[in-house]
Amino acid sequence: MPQQFEQANADAQQSAQHDAQAETTRVENTQAEATGDVLDSVLDDIESVLETNAEEYVNSFVQKGGE
Amino acid sequence: MPQLRDSGNSGPGSTVRQSPEFEGFARIFGIETEYGVSVTGAGRPVDAGQVAMMMFQPIVSRSRSTNTYLTNGSRLYLDVGSHPEYATAEARRPLDALAQDMAGELMMRRLAAQAQERLQATYGTGLRVHVFKNNADSAGHSFGCHENYLVRRFVSLEQVEHELLPFLITRQLYTGAGRVTDEGFEITQRADYLDEAVSSATTRSRPMVNTRDEPHADPEEFRRLHVIIGDSNRSQWATWMKLAVTHLVLCVIEESARLGVPSGFETFALAAPGEANRAVSRDLTCRNASLRMADGRELTALDIQRGFLRIVERFVAGHAAAMDAAMNGTRTDAVASRDGIGRVLDEWRRTLDLLDAGESGRLADRVDWAAKLRLFETLHARRGGVAQSKLEQLDMDYHDIANGTLYDALLRRGAMMRLLDDGDARRALTEPPADTRAALRGGFVAAALVAGAQFSCDWTRLTLSSPEHREAVILDPFADEPTADYRQLMQAL
Repeated sequence: MPQQFEQANADAQQSAQHDAQAETTRVENTQAEATGDVLDSVLDDIESVLETNAEEYVNSFVQKGGE
Repeated sequence: MPQLRDSGNSGPGSTVRQSPEFEGFARIFGIETEYGVSVTGAGRPVDAGQVAMMMFQPIVSRSRSTNTYLTNGSRLYLDVGSHPEYATAEARRPLDALAQDMAGELMMRRLAAQAQERLQATYGTGLRVHVFKNNADSAGHSFGCHENYLVRRFVSLEQVEHELLPFLITRQLYTGAGRVTDEGFEITQRADYLDEAVSSATTRSRPMVNTRDEPHADPEEFRRLHVIIGDSNRSQWATWMKLAVTHLVLCVIEESARLGVPSGFETFALAAPGEANRAVSRDLTCRNASLRMADGRELTALDIQRGFLRIVERFVAGHAAAMDAAMNGTRTDAVASRDGIGRVLDEWRRTLDLLDAGESGRLADRVDWAAKLRLFETLHARRGGVAQSKLEQLDMDYHDIANGTLYDALLRRGAMMRLLDDGDARRALTEPPADTRAALRGGFVAAALVAGAQFSCDWTRLTLSSPEHREAVILDPFADEPTADYRQLMQAL
């Protein structure tokens, strides 16, 4: 995945290369996705959602019409 | 969706001249997103319609209407049934359309925050306004995320039905947003709600591609392909991919129609599109469901996607320079280099390879349904059984752009891929795409607001009603150069 971003057009401006490198870093960060630690942290982050009354939350969303 | 005043005709008296982009592979992209609204923590029921109206109060006091255009060239309005809706301005590149779409999320988030503050004064500080960028509520009502692609008029609707539809149905393997249903987890939000394949009907039946003829451009040259089948995505990658890959497929279809030769896609015509759509959505393995083809064969969704990829790869090999030039022109900046065809094809290939290997989990940082499934599995492993209602809540929370926590946490922890950052979204909220007529519309709206003038817009028309009456028609969506009419209009401000 990251190597694709390093293939930024050879003739692209410097800013483009800089940007692509910044993106490579970001993408590498997502490689951590497989680790359980990251997902544990996410579960900690959403603790408040896990605690609230799910039925009330779900049933409160009824929409009319559309499209 | 409210009918627009003008469906694309230039009106009497104006001369129609061919768009310089009629030849070639240039495209206009747009995304229309309907949002759902709900309230929790109020202690008593609060009508969602009322909340949506309150969200739009700042818009009404600015524009005397719940239907307006913003300085970034996009359209913001309150649709039938209290759906806040945002339609991106015309973009030439998928990444520009993504930035515009993210700006729409940001706009909705701001409107929701203001409404929430005012409602809290009445209902207490526990009140939360939820704004869902998804496609179904708890009662089984469905609403849409519609993609728009400007295609050359010579592409027939028959070709769209037989050649594009099999692609749209099977691309859900990587563009599906995932949904918790009573019958289990599904890949898409929409498959259960779509019936007919291609139709011009609007509200009663829900086709996969809507053929209502509103090109918002010269109808002699273009049609606007209105794709209904897609899900609302949170993943930036998914939004980008669905536009980028669909564009490549459309390039092949257009060229085949232009030359009057088969595209090769005709061999993938499905016997029963609705049935195939539901089968794809329910097969989490992505490999087992076999779809009946019009010619009697049975293929899997992955077989069909591989077939489309093969034909597109061959086509790109012969047309890459023209396709790149059509999308990026002389542009060599960061966005242009990251929106390249090579990158799209690499992503597409890798995605199909992983799905083929049964490794959808490795796409959980970019494919919405896989991200949800991974989270649910982790939750299950950590806590044992998880109630159905909790899964439904998390599913909805993932799409809540106002008070949701799940998607933001995934993003913050680096578990979800970013193509653009918050600064890009903020910029896109005030700046229209620079190389389409959206630049003209955005400039007009900005100037009119500063002048305190009375104005209205349409996709193809800018109207000033006070201090004096003036109008400019902007028929060619690719044209970003001010016309004489436009200059006069701006001078009047």
